Amino acid sequence: MMQSQQPYTGQIFQPTQAYTPVTSQPLYGNSFEDEPPLLEELGINFDHIWQKTLTVLHPLKVADGSIMNETDLAGPMVFCLAFGATLLLAGKIQFGYVYGISAIGCLGMFCLLNLMSMTGVSFGCVASVLGYCLLPMILLSSFAVIFSLQGMIGIILTAGIIGWCSFSASKIFISALAMEGQQLLVAYPCALLYGVFALISVF
Amino acid sequence: MATTAAPAGGSRNGAGPEWGGFEENIQGGGSAVIDMENMDDTSGSSFEDMGELHQRLREEEVDADAAAAEEEDGEFLGMKGFKGQLSRQVADQMWQAGKRQASRAFSLYANIDILRPYFDVEPAQVRSRLLESMIPIKMVNFPQKIAGELYGPLMLVFTLVAILLHGMKTSDTIIREGTLMGTAIGTCFGYWLGVSSFIYFLAYLCNAQITMLQMLALLGYGLFGHCIVLFITYNIHLHALFYLFWLLVGGLSTLRMVAVLVSRTVGPTQRLLLCGTLAALHMLFLLYLHFAYHKVVEGILDTLEGPNVPPMQRVPRDIPAMLPAARLPTTVLNTTAKAVAVALQSH
Repeated sequence: MMQSQQPYTGQIFQPTQAYTPVTSQPLYGNSFEDEPPLLEELGINFDHIWQKTLTVLHPLKVADGSIMNETDLAGPMVFCLAFGATLLLAGKIQFGYVYGISAIGCLGMFCLLNLMSMTGVSFGCVASVLGYCLLPMILLSSFAVIFSLQGMIGIILTAGIIGWCSFSASKIFISALAMEGQQLLVAYPCALLYGVFALISVF
Repeated sequence: MATTAAPAGGSRNGAGPEWGGFEENIQGGGSAVIDMENMDDTSGSSFEDMGELHQRLREEEVDADAAAAEEEDGEFLGMKGFKGQLSRQVADQMWQAGKRQASRAFSLYANIDILRPYFDVEPAQVRSRLLESMIPIKMVNFPQKIAGELYGPLMLVFTLVAILLHGMKTSDTIIREGTLMGTAIGTCFGYWLGVSSFIYFLAYLCNAQITMLQMLALLGYGLFGHCIVLFITYNIHLHALFYLFWLLVGGLSTLRMVAVLVSRTVGPTQRLLLCGTLAALHMLFLLYLHFAYHKVVEGILDTLEGPNVPPMQRVPRDIPAMLPAARLPTTVLNTTAKAVAVALQSH
């Protein structure tokens, strides 16, 4: 122990309390002004959603492994609704098919990834990743509103978009689950799932 | 062991009754032989003894509480309160026992980790196995090796589902009793699991050396040929081409499976039965897939109208206008039957 000439009156290793909570009331009290913002209470963070969207849209951008630590289902919900809306614009009322196929597809991928990875994966994480990577499919279905996809251009475009979606999804999965060398094995079932979505868009 | 146990037995006052047997042993002559029947299971570990002690104290507490509650109940409600407490305890015990059984059964049977080793593959392995599934190997004296994995077969079955769906959509097949997706999945998985089980059963009868996993893997990889043929012929609609591919590609993958089974079966009758059944089912399945879910109408109209119709002409399938002439209700028949009715009508 060091002996100092003058007694030390500061607060070393003690953070200064800039904010003193009123002890008699709970932190988020009864008054309207003290409530947290609605989005914060719901757990919707627009900045994170935007970051994840950019990761999906740049196929060559290296994915951060920690990106999917927080399970965010708000973004995927918005993307599924947008997909259904663009199908609606083309005259196909198939919201039920979209939700059914996404639910079954997420369940299937969840089982497969749990079997293939060393560490397990949670269902929310799988649903979140697959939902975010649905974004390029929205481009395909909005293209289908104006042009028919049943020609040669449509086939090439569909194949490209399916490849883009499954490449992004597999990139995020292998970086989050540390499954190097198995990207093709993860990408193929994702490609099958997005192929079914493309089938809904095209026909 | 006897000398160290004696002082330990003495110090454990809470565990009195169980150690009576031990003391009897020591008193009976000081023999070094310990009768395991009378020994408590936890005699080797003091950690477990402490656990047991805590358990007993907790039970005593619970009993005391229950007794107090019982007394209160009894005082308040008389005999009825006492019986209610008893029935509640019985119900609680049954619930605990049932819950324990259920969780044990669940962890035993629904444990998906049983399948984990069968999904441990590399992309290069899957690629080489896919290519090998089209190359029959003529080695019948020693059992041929079968890769016991489930990733490749499962992905091939799903690919077949996707190709079927695509074929159904391009040919505008309408399924009245069910959905397209359900029909496709049911057909493909039903074939894979059903025929594998049937051939495994026949293999058991014919004394062939093959396990269920190996049969599933073999048949799964055999679907690779089906995927190729259907992918090509759903897009290029030439019947001669389909028959050629059916014989060549389908035949190759069937021969591969047959060779593997022959190498694992002894006896000509058994080999004939097993391999004949598998070959027939496999080839007929490909035939069925092509004709059931694809342009049936085009084929029939082509052959009935003769050589004047160009081969790739698309004939409209939705022709309800002609049906009232035949006095057939339009809603009852499916598209194939309607088209057949129209074709027959025109002759």
